[in-house]
Amino acid sequence: MRYSKLPKENFEAFFKSLEKWGAVYGPVKRGRIYSFEKIKDPNEMSLNYTRTMIPPKKFFVKPRERILRLKDGEWVEECDEEKKVIFGVHSCDINALLILDKVYLSYPEDPLYKRRRENSLIIGISCMPDELCFCKSLGTDFAMHGFDLFLHELPDGWLVRTGSVKGHEIIWRSRELLQEPNEADLENFRKFEDRRIKSFKKELDAQGIADLFDLAYNSDVWKKYEELCLGCGNCNMVCPTCRCYEVCDLWTSPYEAERVRRYDSCFMETHGLVAGGHNFRATRLDRFRNRYYCKSYFDPQAGFNCVGCGRCDEFCPAGIEHVKVLYEIARGRSYNVPILQRKSA
Amino acid sequence: MFQSFSAKVLEVRDLTPKEKLFTLRFVDPHINESFSYKPGQFVMVDLRGFGEFPISICSTPTRKGYIQLCVRRAGRLTKYMHELREGDIIGIRGPYGNGFPMEIMEGNKLLLVSGGLGMAPLRSVLWYALDSGKYAEVRLFYGTRSYEDILFRDEIFNLLQHGQYMNCYVKLSYEIDSPYFSQLENNCPQSVCKGLVTDLFEGEKLDAENSYAIICGPPVMYKFVVKELLNRNFHPGRIYMTLERRMRCGVGKCGHCIVGTSNSIKYVCKDGPVFTYWDVLSTRGLI
Repeated sequence: MRYSKLPKENFEAFFKSLEKWGAVYGPVKRGRIYSFEKIKDPNEMSLNYTRTMIPPKKFFVKPRERILRLKDGEWVEECDEEKKVIFGVHSCDINALLILDKVYLSYPEDPLYKRRRENSLIIGISCMPDELCFCKSLGTDFAMHGFDLFLHELPDGWLVRTGSVKGHEIIWRSRELLQEPNEADLENFRKFEDRRIKSFKKELDAQGIADLFDLAYNSDVWKKYEELCLGCGNCNMVCPTCRCYEVCDLWTSPYEAERVRRYDSCFMETHGLVAGGHNFRATRLDRFRNRYYCKSYFDPQAGFNCVGCGRCDEFCPAGIEHVKVLYEIARGRSYNVPILQRKSA
Repeated sequence: MFQSFSAKVLEVRDLTPKEKLFTLRFVDPHINESFSYKPGQFVMVDLRGFGEFPISICSTPTRKGYIQLCVRRAGRLTKYMHELREGDIIGIRGPYGNGFPMEIMEGNKLLLVSGGLGMAPLRSVLWYALDSGKYAEVRLFYGTRSYEDILFRDEIFNLLQHGQYMNCYVKLSYEIDSPYFSQLENNCPQSVCKGLVTDLFEGEKLDAENSYAIICGPPVMYKFVVKELLNRNFHPGRIYMTLERRMRCGVGKCGHCIVGTSNSIKYVCKDGPVFTYWDVLSTRGLI
């Protein structure tokens, strides 16, 4: 891997140079939440953000999008060709995109997802965990690949890791803005990583949890959470690895129709409903359990389906904590962790 | 992945008041030629401008040039499908799913257990087995509600009366009396009985060692049929069943058909819809 150092004073110039590669999106504070938005001025960005509400999956599978357009009785496939640079993506989200890749880029490939993935650059950024992050326990706190560039915070700039050919190209083109990292930078990088590793407040002992979890299929703890959960589906919308979608056809004019897909949530009653009225997940318990099993599915090759970003905890109106549920289910009894103290705005 | 191929409706036949049989042929002759499928696979029917739904193919790959779909009027899309006439164009994409491993079962006896609309995918197996002649014996247990609800009535009754000449034995159970059933019961008392499909197992000598069982029916039926089969010493690997779930893509992306737990997640559309009883034992929630 190639490492370079971006001094603080060159950051703005470097950021401007990214505009050559496409529209730059970055994390911006919007009220109480953060969101990836188009950036004109680098000072708009909040680079020390915790997590955005909607994960970067929104650039590749949109919340609501047209997948086909009906023209003279035939479907026409279309894809937007916007070139994007997604700046400031955290490691967990980069790992989540790799999980989405496994689904959407396996045969048959999703043409829209593939096109958008090819058309975008991912620039990662290092972060400090807050009280909800548990990515370290799942091994997703450090992105080894899946990005073009990754910026690590140093007191006087950034240590830049290069993760792809495109990343090398960017570095090459702005080589006069960058320096070779020296011993002091290495020491600072090491210090930052040490501090980061030590600041995790939540952890999950993922060893063997898949089996314990499987055995708890009929556990009473599910019943407790069935009462607690509101079934709103917020957790699905904000989850960086949730990918269910629903498809419907809409008429835009008397002669034209389009096939639209939108995010679906497994907490909706219709998620398991089939024609004739049979529902394969009729109760909220079934649906709650289905989500947790889907998120905690241990794939022998890919590992867990969850990246520990903490979004579902932050945006759950009922204050359900993912890790706490996992512990309680695995141990078969209530587990004494104080209910999350919500930050006031 | 999203695109469907145009297919022309060649024939629409009423099977029952609720179900219709659609015979389709692809407009593009090359696709018509190259479209190959296995019994038990399904296609996505694309009613352009209205939506898509998964339907299993009920014709057999041994009879080429067309595919047949048996569709029950159950909702918005199937209601629209029922309004189709000969000559209309619809979209088809697929075939999807794994289908039945017909080659593995060659030389063995087949026991098909179907309830209600479950006859549709099993008809594909039934005629594949009879057309190819590679199977020692085909036994069909068919549970139906009433005389009017019997799908493919002519075929079933023909096999019921004359099937033994090609080693095919059909047994029928019904829930609502009808004069036709009384007549049938008089003619062939061992093949027709009142009750559920599991009642057909009574007094039946099944050769569990050399048989494969194939089940399709409403979701409640599986557990009871599997229990009967296990009582008769069927090996779990010799019990096949084809399942149903909500599907939007057919290729393992939309997430609706996910079943299972942390150790074993199955997509019914791409890992199934045909599963053995081993899969049921390792993946909770399948049946």
